[in-house]
Amino acid sequence: MHGKRGLLSVVGSVLGGLLLLALSANVSPCYGYFMDKQVDAVVNTWSRFDRFLSTFDPAGRYVRQPIERQVPALTFRGFLRQWSDIQLSGDRRVGNRQKDFRFSQMQNLLELELHYQVSPNIEITNINNFIYDSVYNWQDSAGLFAPRTSETFRAYHNFERIVRELYISYRTHNLDVVLGKQQIAWGKMDGQYIDVINGMDRRESVQLEASDYEWRRLPAWMANVTYFFGANSLNFLWIPNFEQDRNPVPGSPWYSPLASPRDTETKAILDGRQDATGDQFRETKRPSTGDFGDHQYGLRLDVSMEPLTWGLIYYYAWNKNPTSFIVDRDIDAAGDPYLIFQPRFTRLHHLGITADYASALSNMPLVGELPIVLRVEGLWTKDVPFADFDHQDRAREGYLNSGIIRRDTLRAAIAVEFAFPGNTSFIFQPSLLYTFDWRKNLGPGFGGAVGDKWNVLPVIFIGRPFRFTRDRLRVEMTLIPWISGPVREWQGIKSKLVAQYRFSQFITGRLIYTAFSSGDRTDLYGQFNKWDNIGWELSYEF
Amino acid sequence: MALRARQLLWLLVCCLLCSGSLGAATVAADQGGLPPQKTWTTAAELTAEEKRALDFRTDTPRDASVPYLPAEPFPFQLPYTAEEMALRAMEFPHSPFWDCILIDMAFSVTNSGFMDQRVTLIPILYFPENGFGEHLYAAQPGQEIYRWLSQGVSPPERYGNQTLWIGYRTDKTFRTKIDMFAYSPSLRRIRRQPQPRREDRLPNSAATFDNLIGRDAWEFSWRILGTDVLHQTVRFPKTRQTAVLTDEKGQYVEVDAKDLSLMGKEYPLYTTDGGVKCYVLEAIPKSEWLRDYYAHKLIYWVDQYAFFPLRVEEYDRQGHLSFVNTRIASLANPALQEHGYAVQFDLWWDVSIDFLSASTHGFVPQTWTEEDKKIFFSPGFMRREWFLAPPKGLMSLNSPDEFYLRPPLEEGKFPDSRSINLSPEVQALIEAQEREGKLVFEEERGDG
Repeated sequence: MHGKRGLLSVVGSVLGGLLLLALSANVSPCYGYFMDKQVDAVVNTWSRFDRFLSTFDPAGRYVRQPIERQVPALTFRGFLRQWSDIQLSGDRRVGNRQKDFRFSQMQNLLELELHYQVSPNIEITNINNFIYDSVYNWQDSAGLFAPRTSETFRAYHNFERIVRELYISYRTHNLDVVLGKQQIAWGKMDGQYIDVINGMDRRESVQLEASDYEWRRLPAWMANVTYFFGANSLNFLWIPNFEQDRNPVPGSPWYSPLASPRDTETKAILDGRQDATGDQFRETKRPSTGDFGDHQYGLRLDVSMEPLTWGLIYYYAWNKNPTSFIVDRDIDAAGDPYLIFQPRFTRLHHLGITADYASALSNMPLVGELPIVLRVEGLWTKDVPFADFDHQDRAREGYLNSGIIRRDTLRAAIAVEFAFPGNTSFIFQPSLLYTFDWRKNLGPGFGGAVGDKWNVLPVIFIGRPFRFTRDRLRVEMTLIPWISGPVREWQGIKSKLVAQYRFSQFITGRLIYTAFSSGDRTDLYGQFNKWDNIGWELSYEF
Repeated sequence: MALRARQLLWLLVCCLLCSGSLGAATVAADQGGLPPQKTWTTAAELTAEEKRALDFRTDTPRDASVPYLPAEPFPFQLPYTAEEMALRAMEFPHSPFWDCILIDMAFSVTNSGFMDQRVTLIPILYFPENGFGEHLYAAQPGQEIYRWLSQGVSPPERYGNQTLWIGYRTDKTFRTKIDMFAYSPSLRRIRRQPQPRREDRLPNSAATFDNLIGRDAWEFSWRILGTDVLHQTVRFPKTRQTAVLTDEKGQYVEVDAKDLSLMGKEYPLYTTDGGVKCYVLEAIPKSEWLRDYYAHKLIYWVDQYAFFPLRVEEYDRQGHLSFVNTRIASLANPALQEHGYAVQFDLWWDVSIDFLSASTHGFVPQTWTEEDKKIFFSPGFMRREWFLAPPKGLMSLNSPDEFYLRPPLEEGKFPDSRSINLSPEVQALIEAQEREGKLVFEEERGDG
């Protein structure tokens, strides 16, 4: 506890200091009038620093510009980002986790993006990511050992991960053809509703944010063809290459404390000091790129009918996470029955809708006219497999079955965005996750509610820039309460606070506070009550 | 302890979110002396010949179908009322009302020297085929007037960011001026945005949305204050005596500042000393059209040939000068004759927080085909990340020292209508700027 207090005090001081510096740098002239000379000196130093940073772009000046001059058809850009999160809770055991680490990420990401214009209609694009997460090396932690399972958690080290996108695009007025490795973002909401084309690196689990999808999506090799007619378009996807979701693995910072066995046991199994006990799992069966019948297909129609735009999607896809089917039952040396599972991916049919509409409310108190935008998005998925623990118990008793039942699921959201004075944006987005014909003892399934029949998330977002900083400081707050029924009722609330400051047009800093409050320790957010953290991001774009 | 720290953090957040911008307390500035030569004349002091060109009435006959517009057909004949001149001035917002690709090089600088430079390509589609007269009299409220596709080129963080603006003809019954869609490559999502509030500033800019998209003249009561001769609007610093412009193909070209004149080379009405004769108009928001408008009053200097606004001042609710916009024009579309002028340089100064923004424009004339109009100017097009001109970024300023000077205050002119109250700090920075011939920042002014 003493350690936590010390840490909070340091973090508070740093936060306060940075904020004071940021504010003092941009106060209006009359504030300077009342400042004493010491504060004036700080302002003056900052002013000099400001002017130095204004044109500080070494990679742009000495790398990007010379390359572009040498190869006029090439556009070259990139960024370097340092991303760190420090946990506010001290060492402790949480569920099955040995949580003896303070940094949950210390990621360094270099992105290089190249576009080569072969002809006016043909362009080759390549985007590469180089990530190194030093949490596994810079901390003496027994609870962080994910690289033993997957080196990708520490660093991108292979072609699949480093070369994120590589495609050739051909365009005419009415047609876009894009062939190669790419990522597709369908939908326009915060959160994933119809944005289901690519798999996702979910190493950050419940902390994964929509603003990070760009770097967390797992691009796939595909053909992406769009036909434009008037203001409307029809998009067709053919995806021979399947990329599943990558979830946190044992020994990674966001691996669920509910998942068994304990960290010590997991490490003993990985070291070969102990055999795994209980149910057995065979190697996962994956869809084959070489089998035409295993490919995925998507179709999207977008229609613009001012002031309404709407779209429909259909996606014949694989579930991004494997489902474990019971294939056999056996008895161990102690005479206890155990099950043999075959994890495999299953086919899903997704049907979705998206729409948005703009309007304004007149004669509102205090604000007069209030512009609003309404966005709607929904995804209905047919025959999603769910593990049924009742069926598994029966299988254990000798009544062999697959241990799976299928249910339809719906996830949908309505967002209302208001434009308040001072460029203040307020969004209220009630979201629904629903499993049709739900019953107790079901495991998780794509699109359905988490641990319950339905989940409702009345998401609230407010954000605004501050004029006295000339819009360089922007503060945002997001609240995601997780309401659930009919069993759990309340699964906790996620609160996120972001202060973003533009040091220059090339360098941006962000301070992020994320908290998971209330909820039971077996609930979605409740299990991460001890994962509250403060993060910072420093990004240089060139 | 943890609880207290969290409470303090939340308190801080709530304070930040709830607070408005810190207002600057102002004290009366030294009004200084009058310029060496008096260039301005009040309406009462005009000669009989000058008065013959003007119609001081405010109750001219109304158009039968659009009662808030004059019965006299656009572009109006001598003598001009203040309202007619204002309607002519409406033709010249920040972005032109004719088809082209506008190359916008924009800059902002704070009084501490923080500088932002950006280049944006803006393909413009203007719907009224018979020009601005059709825009005024034939277009129905709610009818689309223009579409702007704003494509961010530089700095790197803006590369590929796009916004589609759909502008409408408005009146009291249809008040939506803009529909807006935004696309961000980092989100790969096209999002419809709420209509911007007219008084809100553009991100990282001194200008409001009304400064950018222009104001409808019928929302204001107009009065002729007099005439003036302007000799300078956008002033180059001694540290930079060149400007980067673009040719008709969009290629960057450097020109000497001394070769630039307020209305371009072709302008026929320069005075012998290179000045531009202007009418000075006062605009007061009509409460039945604009309730609680953020500006209490505006004053326009419009040239006497094309009625191009070369200087616009805004006054806050206390009646003090709060914002100045100065411009240099060029005849960017000669085929339209005096209607073809456009903003070559725009300089915006938010006086209250001493914040400057500027734009330099290049014009690539375009004739959009019917296919272009449907494809390029639809929201879905932004997802294609297809630049309609070569996406060449440019950092044309090497340092904040090279930014334009704050606009001249034109002190002493029309004192009955103009109240200028500057804080001592801003006043000191202006004096230092005039002394040095370049912007002087907070720590350089020598009185700290």
